[in-house]
Amino acid sequence: MPRILTRENAIRWAPFMVLLALIVLFTAINPSFLSQRNFARIAIAAAPALMVAIGVTFIIVMGSIDLSMEGVVSLTAVLFCFLMLALGGTLASGGWIAIPVILAVGAATGLVNGFIHVKLKIPSFMASLALGFVGTGAAILLTGGDIVKFDDPTFRALLTWRILGFPLMVYVAGLCLVLAWFIQSQTRLGRYFYAVGGGEELAHASGVRVQHVRMAGFSLAGFFYAIAAILQVAKLGQAESVTGSNFMFMSITSVVVGGVALWGGIGGVWNTLVGVLIVAVINNGMVVIGLPDFLQAAVLGLLVIIAVILSTDRRAVAFVK
Amino acid sequence: MDIQRLKPHFPWITLLVLVTIVGIADPSFLKPANLLSLAGDIVPLFIMALGLTFAIYIGGIDLSAQSMANMITVVASVYLAPLGIWVAGLCILAGFTLGTLSGYLTTRMYVPSFISTLAVGGICFSVAQWLSGNRALNMDATQRNETFGWMIGRTGVVPHELFIAIGLLAICLLIERRTVLGRALKAVGAGELAAAASGLNVARYKILAFAISGGLAAVAGLLFSVKLSGGAPTIANGFLLPAIVAVLVGGTPLTGGVGGVLNTAIGTLIVAVIRASMLYFGIAATQQQMVFGLVLIAAIALTIDRSKLRTVK
Repeated sequence: MPRILTRENAIRWAPFMVLLALIVLFTAINPSFLSQRNFARIAIAAAPALMVAIGVTFIIVMGSIDLSMEGVVSLTAVLFCFLMLALGGTLASGGWIAIPVILAVGAATGLVNGFIHVKLKIPSFMASLALGFVGTGAAILLTGGDIVKFDDPTFRALLTWRILGFPLMVYVAGLCLVLAWFIQSQTRLGRYFYAVGGGEELAHASGVRVQHVRMAGFSLAGFFYAIAAILQVAKLGQAESVTGSNFMFMSITSVVVGGVALWGGIGGVWNTLVGVLIVAVINNGMVVIGLPDFLQAAVLGLLVIIAVILSTDRRAVAFVK
Repeated sequence: MDIQRLKPHFPWITLLVLVTIVGIADPSFLKPANLLSLAGDIVPLFIMALGLTFAIYIGGIDLSAQSMANMITVVASVYLAPLGIWVAGLCILAGFTLGTLSGYLTTRMYVPSFISTLAVGGICFSVAQWLSGNRALNMDATQRNETFGWMIGRTGVVPHELFIAIGLLAICLLIERRTVLGRALKAVGAGELAAAASGLNVARYKILAFAISGGLAAVAGLLFSVKLSGGAPTIANGFLLPAIVAVLVGGTPLTGGVGGVLNTAIGTLIVAVIRASMLYFGIAATQQQMVFGLVLIAAIALTIDRSKLRTVK
């Protein structure tokens, strides 16, 4: 009989158990946590965060890191609003064109990120951090510090139109999750991400064009950040240069807490889904049970540290910078 | 003359070129009084960059520096009244302790430094929000002047911040050049595995480097709050990017091992001149972040030692 309580199984199922335990805990303290209305609230909070986290999942699976999400989300959100306004301000008047354009812009920023990282041989955390600053700077520049908004009931249906109590954007996020899962498990690119993350030199030796895979990965991440930006605009009804703030810490915490190893090669988008839900449930549950919201940053910080410590196989690591 | 031999001299040549360009465009820029007040204004940033140098020198990074400074502005504002001058000790102790925590997590728990410091930064942010009640705080003006007035006055045209900066720079330079700690940090930065193999207690020195980084970020926050006579949980936002830029354009590469605190002094001056020249050439403050982001990419690309990175992740 195969052993069930192995280290591998424990690591694989721990995040899911934590999620269940958290739901039970918060429900026990305040039963109104377990209501459809509250779950819808959690889902709305989690939808844009899930898109960002999925984007960075591909990067972390490759063993790299992307810290540009705050800048890219702010920039694409602001550009989306401007473009929407320029195209008449409603989806019906031609504004729908803004959606594919912004997705392309997101992918293009990701490509620039990957290009800087790969061609200039700069470690990804620093290349992407710098590019994120550039993105936020560009968003500040475009808006001059103001808020950009447009009023289109059709677009806002993403938030207002509810099916089974959950708004449309939750289903959109679900579809994107399926798309990400498809890329991860059913395409060659998805397999290459794991090959590069599992051992770059081996991947290179077996004919994978590592540099191309890396650039494609960053581009894909940018694409998902742009989806996050559009959902965030739908959620808030506006965009400004701080639209993307907090996403960096939140998404990395989610991915790592969900069980995607920071060293690459392990985990995937389902882990990320669980991680995003853990973070969203904690943030929501702390409010529901009446804890002050200033604790959130510290709790996320502790969470990410614990998750990294637990997921690290210490025998396999020589030294850490 | 080959480029590799010229490379260590790039930072001060860049500084001279920049000063000359701005000086030609705007001769009043070169007035000693203007230069001194320019240097005085950048001191809090310099102190933060000085601390960051230690983290980067060993090949790590400290992304908590900005949150640390934020938290310290709040701590200083809250505890100035009951503690008086001792609040400085409290601030530095807090910075040193949290820096030690980052170092411990990085070395003993194998959490990469950019994650561990990001997480410690989250803790700092929570503490700052909690202590301040999410408001901007003010120091009592008379008490500030009695206790810390010496930090921000002027003697003639020389701002007092400059004395603090030079004092800290001297201490750090002493640590770097004349102590076992300094040599050990260089060894770790130059080749961590070799340093460990030759019997060095690598973990202890790395923890100390992060602790120094935290402590100096705290000093930066303290000076900043004294200058502004107050504190808030996000008041020092916007420090991290120029501080990292200062370290890197100074010539301490992300891979560590070369450069040092004197380089950071030059790097900070470069940042100061870039800022001043942007104002002069009519580049709005809103564009500065973009410019510094691009400068950062260029600086990393020029300084990084690629022979140390077998695979670039």
